[in-house]
Amino acid sequence: MTNDGGWFDRFVDSLPERGWFKFLSTYVVVPYWVWRDPKPKLPGGPRASAQPSENVQRMMNLIMPLKDSSPIGRAKAALAIAQNVDEIFAGLDNVGTVHTARFLLLDDYICMISVYDGDFSNYIRDFIATIGSVFDEVVSLVEGGDDLIPTTHNVERFIDWVHAHDLFQAPDFPTDLFGLQDTASGRSPDSPPHELRSLPRELILQLNANPNISLGGGYRAYPGFSAAQVRGKFGVGW
Amino acid sequence: MEDPGIAERLVDSLVRPDGSPKKRPVHTIGIGATGSFLASHVARDYCISKHFQGTETPVTVRFSNGSGSAVQHDGWSDVRGMATRFHLDDGTATDLIAMTLPEFFTPTPETFLDFALAAKPAKFSRESPWRKILDMLKLTPPMRDPYPGETVRPDEGAMRFADRNGYAQLAVFQAAAIGAPASYDRASYHAVHTFVITAPDGTRRWVRFTWQPIAGVLDTNPNAPPEDVYLQDKLRERLALAPARFSLMMSIGEIGDAFDDPTRPWPPHRVRVMMGTLTLDTVVKDQEADCERLSFNPGLLTDGIEPSGDLVLRARKDVYEISSKRRGAVPCPFSRSQANDE
Ligand code: HEM
Repeated sequence: MTNDGGWFDRFVDSLPERGWFKFLSTYVVVPYWVWRDPKPKLPGGPRASAQPSENVQRMMNLIMPLKDSSPIGRAKAALAIAQNVDEIFAGLDNVGTVHTARFLLLDDYICMISVYDGDFSNYIRDFIATIGSVFDEVVSLVEGGDDLIPTTHNVERFIDWVHAHDLFQAPDFPTDLFGLQDTASGRSPDSPPHELRSLPRELILQLNANPNISLGGGYRAYPGFSAAQVRGKFGVGW
Repeated sequence: MEDPGIAERLVDSLVRPDGSPKKRPVHTIGIGATGSFLASHVARDYCISKHFQGTETPVTVRFSNGSGSAVQHDGWSDVRGMATRFHLDDGTATDLIAMTLPEFFTPTPETFLDFALAAKPAKFSRESPWRKILDMLKLTPPMRDPYPGETVRPDEGAMRFADRNGYAQLAVFQAAAIGAPASYDRASYHAVHTFVITAPDGTRRWVRFTWQPIAGVLDTNPNAPPEDVYLQDKLRERLALAPARFSLMMSIGEIGDAFDDPTRPWPPHRVRVMMGTLTLDTVVKDQEADCERLSFNPGLLTDGIEPSGDLVLRARKDVYEISSKRRGAVPCPFSRSQANDE
């Protein structure tokens, strides 16, 4: 490091890299703080915003735990998607508001990652209307999914379920985390202000409640434009 | 003007014992370079200002370390500045002043005065190892150890201010960890405030500007001992080899955005327009006469660009003039430009 405060100081600076200290932090310090200051799980998806550019190119990161994550279970999931490529692509064309969408198998999850324009509930509703049968197949492979089948008859519940499995999107500006946590706990945001140096702890505690998150709202090459506007510019006919 | 004394008091508040009355009270150490700005082919659709019409505009740029210390410490963590003067073809000029911090500490000049006093560089003691252990157990990062030779700093005061005033938190948090660029041409610089630009059809847009380095952003390793003197040499070496280039990116604000509040950056989802490219090819020969004695002013605008209602932006016009007078600099050419106050 930059300055010499003596051997004890250097030793203390090295603690975060020492195995026993990491063990202590993981199994004692963090659980203590989780007990003392539990954080509610923060809701998934983009947050409501009046600005038009916040309502296009919105990110969905749907992370669904597989019932069977063995290679056979994963192959079934892969097959469910592969056998329905026509349905999915035609459905996405019909929905019309989707920039990109793809499925991933990642550890014990099947993930649907997409970028869409407009309201979340409408997006899911349109989707079910056009490819509900595919969703039935996907959710049948997912823990807690059986109750939602057929999705076309459980639209509102399915929307809530998707929302619950969509990743929390960390704010683009780090200190905004305080306000989001306050709101989730029913307090008025940032009044009184939080101790600024507690931000790293608040993040650690939030990652305990939401282990998987999207880091910020992401980069866009042409922010502010809808899929329809982009297609319109290119003259590709729909 | 609400309070005729505020600008004077703001300049007073920045004075620090290790500064120099003959130099700028902040952004004290700097280096000038010249080159040109070429607007992109779409820039003129958004703004009628001369430098956005597509012909090359000569520019003078001064890069600086944000600190008001007259002793050079390039490698210390600090905000960096990039002040750009566009020399327009009718003999007038317009300035765009930017820094590596994307937002400001306070929403008004008065609160900035409070901040400047609270965060005045002060003596501090190194955090003891026991205190560091306590911090680690609280899952809060220990305060940064002093650099060799560092005896005063704003960090503790700024942190206390931010604990009481939520609006300062983002800037204080980001400034605390901002680090040092590998070279002045390897950083992004934000003009922070909102400006109002006028298009040829009369449409007015609320926008914010950022310079993005075409060489890419690169910082030094924060864990290596900091070098005190390298940024000016790097720029000289760099420009001797090849020009340094920056893109001028412009974000267009939307209803509901913080038009007048420089503490709130806009999310990266706003429509973004590439307004042009800056090419710097020459280091100013007589730094003292043609750069250090120059005075930039964020109020030096031109037809087609106006200040927003941001009170900090509006106050800065007088602040920079007063500061420039005090240090005996060449006055900024307001008399020759169309002044933009109402
Ligand atoms: C109330 C708020 C502010 C005050 C009181 C203030 C004050 C000053 C003063 C007194 C100077 C020296 C001027 C001179 O002697 O020529 C200066 C320079 C500078 N300031 Fe500010 N400033 C403020 C806000 C900002 C903001 C928001 C930015 C960034 C967008 C900024 C960036 C700079 C830069 C880059 C310089 C160096 C200019 C040069 O190279 O000549 N300042 N400031």
